[in-house]
Amino acid sequence: MSLLSRITSYSAKPALAGAWGVVTYGELAGMIAAARQSLAQLKLDRPTAFGLVGEHGPASAAWLLALAEAGHFVAPLSGNVAEHPAKLALINAQWIVVAEAKAAKLLPRVDEPSAHPLFAQLRAAGAAGLVLFSSGTSGTPKAMVHDFGKLLASYDARHESDLPLLALLGFDHIGGLNTLFNALASGALLVVPPSRAPADVATAIARHRVAILPASPTFLNLLLAADVLADLASLRVITYGTEPMPESLLHRLKAALPRVRFIQTFGTSETGISRTESPDAGSTFLRFEDPALEWKVVDDELWLRSRTQIAGYLNASNERFTADGWFRTGDRVEKGPHGTLRILGRLGESINVGGEKLMPAEVESVVLTVPGVTDCRVRGETHPLTGQTVAVDVVSFTSDQEALRAAIRIACRERLARHKIPTRVTFVPSVSGERMKKVR
Amino acid sequence: MLTREQALALVLRRLAALGRELRKPALEQADAQTRLFGEAAALDSIGLVTLIADLEEDIRVATGKTVTLADEKAMSRLTSPFRRVDLLAEYVAEVTNR
Repeated sequence: MSLLSRITSYSAKPALAGAWGVVTYGELAGMIAAARQSLAQLKLDRPTAFGLVGEHGPASAAWLLALAEAGHFVAPLSGNVAEHPAKLALINAQWIVVAEAKAAKLLPRVDEPSAHPLFAQLRAAGAAGLVLFSSGTSGTPKAMVHDFGKLLASYDARHESDLPLLALLGFDHIGGLNTLFNALASGALLVVPPSRAPADVATAIARHRVAILPASPTFLNLLLAADVLADLASLRVITYGTEPMPESLLHRLKAALPRVRFIQTFGTSETGISRTESPDAGSTFLRFEDPALEWKVVDDELWLRSRTQIAGYLNASNERFTADGWFRTGDRVEKGPHGTLRILGRLGESINVGGEKLMPAEVESVVLTVPGVTDCRVRGETHPLTGQTVAVDVVSFTSDQEALRAAIRIACRERLARHKIPTRVTFVPSVSGERMKKVR
Repeated sequence: MLTREQALALVLRRLAALGRELRKPALEQADAQTRLFGEAAALDSIGLVTLIADLEEDIRVATGKTVTLADEKAMSRLTSPFRRVDLLAEYVAEVTNR
């Protein structure tokens, strides 16, 4: 059954909870119908590019699905319109939908229809387009175009569920959209917290008895540090992804939340989110369990080929795709037994100290075990003596930084090879971004 | 701004702290003539890089200046400032007075 008919069939069940209160599936279906009507009034004679600005909510979800149904091209953008002039121009957006909670308004934007061959290709196939942007840490954000219908169809086999999910990743993020489509396809409640601060998230979990929390290891670490465990009693499953999970953090999480199952997910903006399994709950290895996905490891790099992968980029070459459709993820992986894999980090992030290589994640995993360390990021610094050297930025509330600096190095010396020991330990108020600096 | 004496005290204090961390008591007994790097020296390359990073932080705390001790200029000197304690102290004084 298609996503839209499912939404209609779940009628009285709660669909989306947040600042607007709780909206049922029936009400959501009504909002989709209203969006459909507004679209009809525009009398568009061809598939058109829309910017959809907002956060997770009933109006943004309704418009996203109405635009997909009508075969248009849509770029979900979080925040406000003024933040995104370059992205709107790149897709030649002719309309902007600003969605907030249950309300949406339509703003015209003066632009020529896009002549991009990717849009033409989708148009010829009668397919809608979903445009997602990479985070742009390496320069201009890359605009990735999905065949939206194909992506949505991949949720058609979901079973009905009554386990509420929390939306932590954004409305403009493949992981956040995956959570949204999973919730809607299974008739579950999607809970949208007022902010991503651990205390706000914990309160939302307690209030709506959230059972499933998709999160990044960085966020889970903050959640532990925020001392809000009492609010998390309803959690049954935590799925984690977007960056390598430090083994030490997984052990602390399991000790703090013994009733929760931890499941690793894996996905890229280019190939979509894939179903995976862990060989056992305490393991950071994973196994792909997705009939729509093929994988292989070439020179330590993970290659994926998926039925839901993007049609292409609007503003970049397809050089990361091979001629026969494999996507080079740029993730460095290690093969384990029985077809399992472990994500070590980004290929470009490996640090080379005097010819010996290491990945930031393995050092971060040790530094996080040192009492007094709240969070950390490991990076390579160029150094005339050893080529590169290991530097770590540490978030801590300790009053004795000198002692903590020594304790960090001692812990690393006990558990890591000599070249992996951080030579520079810097105390910082916060570390930005995720450990693996890439949108997933 | 650091005098040579102040810089020497800074280097010896940092070396002693590193000695405690590395469990190398000899570093706590270091003096101006102690060889830092090279043959029969107290530190390996990682140890030396660590000492330099910590000294840069000490200098920042003491003078408010952010300095880089190990750069191509320092490395290409005829007499390496990282060879002996007194040479390093002299170099620290020079860098902080630039």
